[in-house]
Amino acid sequence: MMPLGEILTYLYTWTPFLLTGFALNILISVVAMAVGTAVGWLLALLRVSPHPRRVRFSLMITEFFRNIPTIVFQFYLVFLLPVEVIVPSTGIILTFPAWLKAALALAIAVVGFTSDNLTIAMEEWKQGNHTAAFLFIPSWTSYALIIVMASSTASIIGVSELMSRCNTVINAIGNTNLMLPIYLYACLFFFGFCYPLTLLMKRISRILETRHAGTT
Amino acid sequence: MLLCALLFCAAGLGEVRPALSQPAGPTFASSERLGLIKQRGVLIVGVKTDYPPFGMLNSSGEPVGFEHDLAADIARRLGVGLRKVGVTGSNRLEKLQEGEIDLVLATTGDTAERRKIATMIEPDYYASGVTLFMPPNENVKDWSDTRGKKVCASQGSYYNRTMQQRYLLDLQIYNNARDAKLAVRDGRCIGYLFDNTAIMNDLAKPEWQGYKAPLPPVMVTPWAIAIAARERGSEFEKVLGDIVADWHRTGFLIEREKAWNIAPSKFLADTHDLWQRKDADGALFCKRGADGNWNAECRNKVFLASADVSGLAHAGLWLNERTGINLTPLYDSFDRMQFLKGLATTLLLTVLCILGSLVLGIAGAIGAESRIPVFARVIRASCTLARMTPPLPSMYVVLFGIGSLCGISFSAMAVVVWCLCVYTGAGVMTALLDAAATYRTWHPEYRVRLFEVHKLARWASGPVTAALINVSKATMMASAFAVPELLSASTAIISERGNVGVMMNAMLLTFLLIVFCVVRLLRYVEHRVVRERRQMPRQGAPVSLDVEGNA
Repeated sequence: MMPLGEILTYLYTWTPFLLTGFALNILISVVAMAVGTAVGWLLALLRVSPHPRRVRFSLMITEFFRNIPTIVFQFYLVFLLPVEVIVPSTGIILTFPAWLKAALALAIAVVGFTSDNLTIAMEEWKQGNHTAAFLFIPSWTSYALIIVMASSTASIIGVSELMSRCNTVINAIGNTNLMLPIYLYACLFFFGFCYPLTLLMKRISRILETRHAGTT
Repeated sequence: MLLCALLFCAAGLGEVRPALSQPAGPTFASSERLGLIKQRGVLIVGVKTDYPPFGMLNSSGEPVGFEHDLAADIARRLGVGLRKVGVTGSNRLEKLQEGEIDLVLATTGDTAERRKIATMIEPDYYASGVTLFMPPNENVKDWSDTRGKKVCASQGSYYNRTMQQRYLLDLQIYNNARDAKLAVRDGRCIGYLFDNTAIMNDLAKPEWQGYKAPLPPVMVTPWAIAIAARERGSEFEKVLGDIVADWHRTGFLIEREKAWNIAPSKFLADTHDLWQRKDADGALFCKRGADGNWNAECRNKVFLASADVSGLAHAGLWLNERTGINLTPLYDSFDRMQFLKGLATTLLLTVLCILGSLVLGIAGAIGAESRIPVFARVIRASCTLARMTPPLPSMYVVLFGIGSLCGISFSAMAVVVWCLCVYTGAGVMTALLDAAATYRTWHPEYRVRLFEVHKLARWASGPVTAALINVSKATMMASAFAVPELLSASTAIISERGNVGVMMNAMLLTFLLIVFCVVRLLRYVEHRVVRERRQMPRQGAPVSLDVEGNA
């Protein structure tokens, strides 16, 4: 076992490197939430429309997105989506780095979530329960935190985010005694980021719920 | 000259005839070349002298090696002398076509292009593949560890592009092998991508002491003895095929491999087993059919056509020939087993994770509401901790962190199931505790206890079902730790066959089907449980709509 001081020195030295990796986790999550929410919003709009055909179409798509495991979809995109695509007749080259593919795969889960929950919120809004509709915001944020945690799976396809950087560090130091401290340190990143925000969101939704109970 | 040839021909026919009168079986055309060999009393073999230890010059300048031993054995069996002619990769098949040599035994890969210009003897006698030449301190244990990593390669290697696509490598291309190996030494990449037989040779040099190549060779190309194209279906082809088959059966090749200190090849071990196999009636499993070919299971599968096989395999090959849809698990029994085993492992993981999460969640909720003060606190705190720690990092902590600390190696599958159950169990527990809080609105004295849990079904079933569906979608995380589940099996088949599109779609569809069934099943159970509890008072929407998004 290594002395604690030495372990802390190592962790301190590598913190900037690991933090940059965690920033990539956040970036992946932000892109996933943005893309997923936009598509999910469209699906929710279709679901509350008066045309039964549109509702059925949207339900079918939502069901599909709900059932795809995102890890599998990451592999699907990594293997089948080319790294570079030339947009026809413009000459612009679109590049799809691995982290973007991971983000798009995670967006799949977000689409299902947004479509389901936004539909409920929209219906509440129509019925005049505005406070109940606002409950969408804290639950959306809590979902974003779950996506941040799920972004660690991007390491499986070789994205240089926090978890794969942990492995890089362990390899670079070449000391297996450091494995446990480094992995625990990485867990601390996730906990330290997600826990305070979860508490905040819980408080907000509790306030909204009491207010909603007051209005009805 | 012509007269000479005719004479040889006649002599050849005369000699070969006795061999033809063997037990009933397919007949083979007489061989002009075999006759010539017996006539001249010498077998002329094209061999390599620059590819140790397969073909090289020893300290006294004599050509020796693994393949030289094989050539000597063929000559012995034919009862003729042996003359060796040095060939290179670029001239070996030319010399064969020109008739300068009788056969080529010179690390020749059995490929479709070569089958057009020469007759390749089946069975193949050895196989080489691509592996990674790695420095001593490198920690890569499996090909899946190389995803996204910098890997050195040399320009013009035929496998570079394929390996990049199939294993998602970040290839650093160097001008030649020397530069690439130096780059490995300087730590500019995790390893050098090269032919495993050549790497074996490097590893034996003092310069590279401590270096290693632990990854199993992939993109395996079998090596075959080559004879002239016009000898196809002849007695000569048959005699050589029988000799190689006998080498596999008697273990001669494995014995020679050991003698030359070549690392044991999986190909030789597998073929040895296959060619020794006996049918139920004691007859050898690998035998020639009416057309003179070996049975399909014992042939090089790459060159099988739908006409050669029957049943499911026929359908799979036919589909491939007609449409280009190369669904290998349909026609290749090895791929099929791999895929089915992967499916079974995934289903097992799913069932274990769902049951484990439920048990942990219920146990946790009971513990948290027990009257043991410190214990209940600890349970609640661990629940929060478990919910805020993604399962993948916790798998690393348990499998490698705790494992290396205590010197225990846990079963990867057990660790994956445990970590997923803890994460999802915490979600189930939270849902139960929230439901209990709601239930207490009417029954203030209620506490979660084993035989009282069912009372919460009305409020907890929604979030619990959502959590269980999500854990069934997260089992593929096991592929990160080399658990042979469906995702690992599919990527393994892709890396061997290159049928990326087909396998990816087949895998995605299979997963969609699994998730669909799990969702239906859980919803059915939920429906049954909740309907039984219909008498309970109804009140508003279920507590918090807490969807576990962990894919």
